[in-house]
Amino acid sequence: MSTDAQLAPLATRFGDALHRTRALVTYNLLLRVRDPSQLISYLITPMVFMVMLQPLYEEALETGTVHAVTGQLVMFSVFAMAIVGNAIFVEREWRTWDRLRASRAARWELLVGKAVPVFVVLLFQQAVLFVYGVAVIGMPLPVSLPLLLAAMSIWGVTLLAMGAALATLVRSRGDLIVACDVGAITVSTVGGTFLPVDLMPGWAQDIAPFSPGYWGLSMLRAAVEGDVAETFRPALVCLAIVLVTGAFATYRLAHGWGRSHLV
Amino acid sequence: MLEVNELTKRYDEVRALDGFTLDVAAGEIVGLVGHNGAGKTTFVEMVSGLLQPDSGTVLVGGRPPADTRGEIGISPQHIALYRPLSVREHLNLYGGIAGLRGATLRDAIDELAVALQLTSFIDRRAGLLSGGQQRRTQAATALIHRPSLLLLDEPTAGADPETRQALLDVVKQRAGEGTAVVYTTHYLAELMDLDATIAVAAKGRVIARGTSAQLLEGLPGEVRVTAADGEVHVSSQDPTGTLLEILGSVRRPVESVELRHPTLDDLYHSLAADHVH
Repeated sequence: MSTDAQLAPLATRFGDALHRTRALVTYNLLLRVRDPSQLISYLITPMVFMVMLQPLYEEALETGTVHAVTGQLVMFSVFAMAIVGNAIFVEREWRTWDRLRASRAARWELLVGKAVPVFVVLLFQQAVLFVYGVAVIGMPLPVSLPLLLAAMSIWGVTLLAMGAALATLVRSRGDLIVACDVGAITVSTVGGTFLPVDLMPGWAQDIAPFSPGYWGLSMLRAAVEGDVAETFRPALVCLAIVLVTGAFATYRLAHGWGRSHLV
Repeated sequence: MLEVNELTKRYDEVRALDGFTLDVAAGEIVGLVGHNGAGKTTFVEMVSGLLQPDSGTVLVGGRPPADTRGEIGISPQHIALYRPLSVREHLNLYGGIAGLRGATLRDAIDELAVALQLTSFIDRRAGLLSGGQQRRTQAATALIHRPSLLLLDEPTAGADPETRQALLDVVKQRAGEGTAVVYTTHYLAELMDLDATIAVAAKGRVIARGTSAQLLEGLPGEVRVTAADGEVHVSSQDPTGTLLEILGSVRRPVESVELRHPTLDDLYHSLAADHVH
């Protein structure tokens, strides 16, 4: 009896938290749906590049078709960090984040409400590009779909955490655009998404592992080939990146920015 | 309902709050007035739990702000709306976060839409609204869950008279139902309309507090009498008596008489100037 009496308020509180989180996820999804241009461009451009580059990679590499698909996918998924950055930055620019922080919603509810729709977008982008890679470019079917899904999810969370950290650091929209564009080109190129690491000069091969793109590419390529052991190590590195950047972003988001942090 | 005691807050070298103390009872409207930089917005951010004081306490209904966020409705000084979302979607969001759902939420939205005259643009996106419409929308998001404490930080800044009146009517109605209201403004006439008690802030603290009658007592008014042979213009603590005296002593025909009793503007300028000097 007493246990029931204790559980009832807990269940109510959990139900209320779910209701609030659903309200937050819904409005964030609406915001994403009403601003689809970034996602569309990050879907169409890699599709075109895959078609253009596949013959070249096929000529140069044993697994050229897989690289044509996974390389462009990783490159443009890194570009999609701009979607994460933008989703958070507008809350600063419109000064809406503090209004949410002052509401009944707990910090974790706000973070989940913000993260889930953006994560869905990142996962959707990867899924569409993989399907396109198999159906149009001729990439072999992935050996293990659950393994690939796990790798896509880990890469999605990595991008989410990095993008969120970036958005809480920059001081203006101009900073965000530059950081996303230059950052994405650097991270993906150094990581071997455009020119495979094996074909890079020695010094570039040495610095490639410092790029998150290198680990994302290694993980996704191994997952496509169904190699669990080769997927595991880069997955751990990605999760370490999530831990560091995610903790930083969570702290910044939970505490707000106060006044005059935007140029 | 709201007990704020000796709050202090520094931003680097700037002392934003310096012993800020204010109590607001349930059903009371307190008009908080003061120059820009007097500490009004810092105070509002502390009560809403967005800022931590360096020292001092804030209690809402006897509890700290972190435990009472659902009971506070906030309309910040700046417009804070999602441009791609409609007015109705904003109300659904903030109502949903506050725990309203289904028919209760729909009824609350319908009621506010009528009271704040939102009906004609309720399905329009916030980015396409005029400044006055955005102000009303923002106020509606603060009012949707019937909070027991309302913090309205310059809610009518830049608003047209129609918007202003609609908002004042709703604030009066909510106070009549027991809501405690803190209303910061530079438009002192609004406080007379709201029948608010007044707190004057300067340099991070409240320097005067009372009803308008209490605070205006002792402030001089003005008398201006224009006759054929010249003009008399004097300040007086009893403008009516002074006018009668002047009229009794004037021998030429009087062309015009101007009598001005002290207003809240005079009080504001006098107290703030005294404090600054």
